[in-house]
Amino acid sequence: MRYVIVLVLILAAIPALCADTPANYAESISGTLVKFDMVGIPAGKVTMGTQTVQVKALWIAKTETTWDAYDVFVYRLDEPQGAPSGNDAVSHPSKPYGAADRGYGHKGYPVINVSYYAAEQYCKWLTAKTGHTYRLPTEAEWQYACLAGAPEPDEKSLDKYAWFWQEKTQPVAQKLPNAWGIYDMLGNVAEWCAGLDCAAGASIPDRRDKPVVCGGSFEDSANKIKASTRKYQDDSWQANDPQNPKSKWWLSDGQFVGFRIVRDQ
Amino acid sequence: MTKQDCAISRRDFLKGSVASAAVIGAGTMGLMPGAWAAGSDTIKVGVIGCGGRGTGAAFDCLNADPGVKIVALGDLFKDRLDGCLGRLTGDEKLKERVDITPDRCFTGFDNYEKVIDCGVDMVIMAAPPGFRPAHVKYAVDKGKHIFMEKPVAVDAPGVKLILEAGEIATQKKLGIVAGTIKRHQANYVATVKRIHDGAVGDILSAQCYYNTGELWNHGRKPEWTDVEWQIRNWLYFTWLSGDHIVEQHVHNIDVINWALNAHPLKCVGMGGRQKRTDPAYGHIFDHFAVEYEYPNGVRVMSMCRQQDGCCGNVSERVIGTEGSSNCAGLIKGSREWKFEGSAPSPYVQEHIDLISGIRDGKPLNEARQIAESSLTAIMGRMSAYTGQEITWEQAMNSQENLMPEKLEFGPMPVAPVAVPGRTPFS
Repeated sequence: MRYVIVLVLILAAIPALCADTPANYAESISGTLVKFDMVGIPAGKVTMGTQTVQVKALWIAKTETTWDAYDVFVYRLDEPQGAPSGNDAVSHPSKPYGAADRGYGHKGYPVINVSYYAAEQYCKWLTAKTGHTYRLPTEAEWQYACLAGAPEPDEKSLDKYAWFWQEKTQPVAQKLPNAWGIYDMLGNVAEWCAGLDCAAGASIPDRRDKPVVCGGSFEDSANKIKASTRKYQDDSWQANDPQNPKSKWWLSDGQFVGFRIVRDQ
Repeated sequence: MTKQDCAISRRDFLKGSVASAAVIGAGTMGLMPGAWAAGSDTIKVGVIGCGGRGTGAAFDCLNADPGVKIVALGDLFKDRLDGCLGRLTGDEKLKERVDITPDRCFTGFDNYEKVIDCGVDMVIMAAPPGFRPAHVKYAVDKGKHIFMEKPVAVDAPGVKLILEAGEIATQKKLGIVAGTIKRHQANYVATVKRIHDGAVGDILSAQCYYNTGELWNHGRKPEWTDVEWQIRNWLYFTWLSGDHIVEQHVHNIDVINWALNAHPLKCVGMGGRQKRTDPAYGHIFDHFAVEYEYPNGVRVMSMCRQQDGCCGNVSERVIGTEGSSNCAGLIKGSREWKFEGSAPSPYVQEHIDLISGIRDGKPLNEARQIAESSLTAIMGRMSAYTGQEITWEQAMNSQENLMPEKLEFGPMPVAPVAVPGRTPFS
């Protein structure tokens, strides 16, 4: 255990020493007390299938997006209280009919049940709000940040880094971070990624050219908690949405689906 | 065939002997109450209330049975009807079984009568709950099978109408299923059966929750009259929704009545309008907490809240002498058990259960159970609004009829927000 921690600390120190690694910073959402940390990661290479993909230096959120930040977007907590708001430049989610957090927990817990569209709109909203360009990671970026230049944890030590085989999600950043100081890349919620953004897709078996969640979730067993784990949306993710048309914002059966954001240097 | 002919022939058909009518050929005549001829026969379905849920239920019904055809639509508003029609006819997989002609599309306050009278076998009822009792009564009188969204009434006179219609439906062998989906959700069905079989021992207490955020609001257009504005935003007016304890929390209250196999004897509730105070949200509360007392002194805590940004909880729990259960697939205690099967979409399953019951000549009739669950929620509202203890008998015999005597587009003041200790029980 001691060796693992020492190793983590050494690895975590490496990017800070590199000149081209963006400096970590805390982002805040004006009009609220919400803050979250962004971690700079250096440029590098990651293997996707049989190809090696170059990833530029960027920032990635230290944790999965939590309800604390997402609620500001959904409920316009940064705006004065009052009557239902009119339209503005960015569309905001519809009101979920049930409890979108499923009672798993709210403050400090990762958002769940969000559609890919909603995650993208959140990025647009946050970009307009902060002046920093946020987006969802590509699969390559996500996998690169997940591995953090180190081998994947084996099944024996996985429990130190990831929530899996649980009845529900857990608060973010309760386990050990990876070598770059990023939490819960594996497990807890599977995270939306925006396609490969490179030509390597063809070499990956069963890949589909559409949004995908990566990294496995609290529902999965240990053997599914890997940087290469993918899940593609199907009808079952909205099977219990009683409305027609079904919500474009909420996945009635996506209790394992969340996301984290990145920002280009 | 004109609409009029269609309606008359259908009525005569139902008035006549069921046995002799069956011989004429149910395939062409439509679905026969209690005399289903063959599994492949067409079931002609009309939809009353064409919003998101009515449209969703139409799709669920189509997906439930290959014999279903959607043949008629009714909604107060043409734009809502057109939206539903567009989605049904635009579905590549299912549009073959959508056979809606312009003369079977009805708008206005009497749309439900026209849908019911145009030759359908079954109706999907998804108009705002305040209208439901009148719709159900009319459909049962005309011998139609019913899928009805929850809740089914917003006041005691409405509950009584549903109970009476349910009795008549039993005599007529009509199927009635309500949209309290958990009764058709495999994990709930399996768990409640175990609870009934004693898996947690004798039940001592229970809790149920629907704590969630705020719901949609369509705002107000200048050309809308008061009545149109209220109906388009029906969630926020008690005469239409029953308040959110009735409209939404009835799901969880129904599970408790089901698990306990009883309705409460009395209750004390509280609640208020704390956060969602803008006039756009009518006059309903945004939170309730009610303690119900069931037979044998069993106390049930019920909570519901519609406030954004607060922690959510939509669940039930029963505690017995030998264990506890979430009613949804988990039993803890001396007889631990976990549901491990698959649970197909209950929104489709409820239609499968309704239609297979009709086809087998053993139609389900959920009128009483959903009427009682609706009244359970209503009595909680009554107690919270008045600040008084309310017994089941008081609630059932309440004279409060929330439906306006004459319904037409025009002015309608918003009912005052209830003030506990001042708002009288009636």
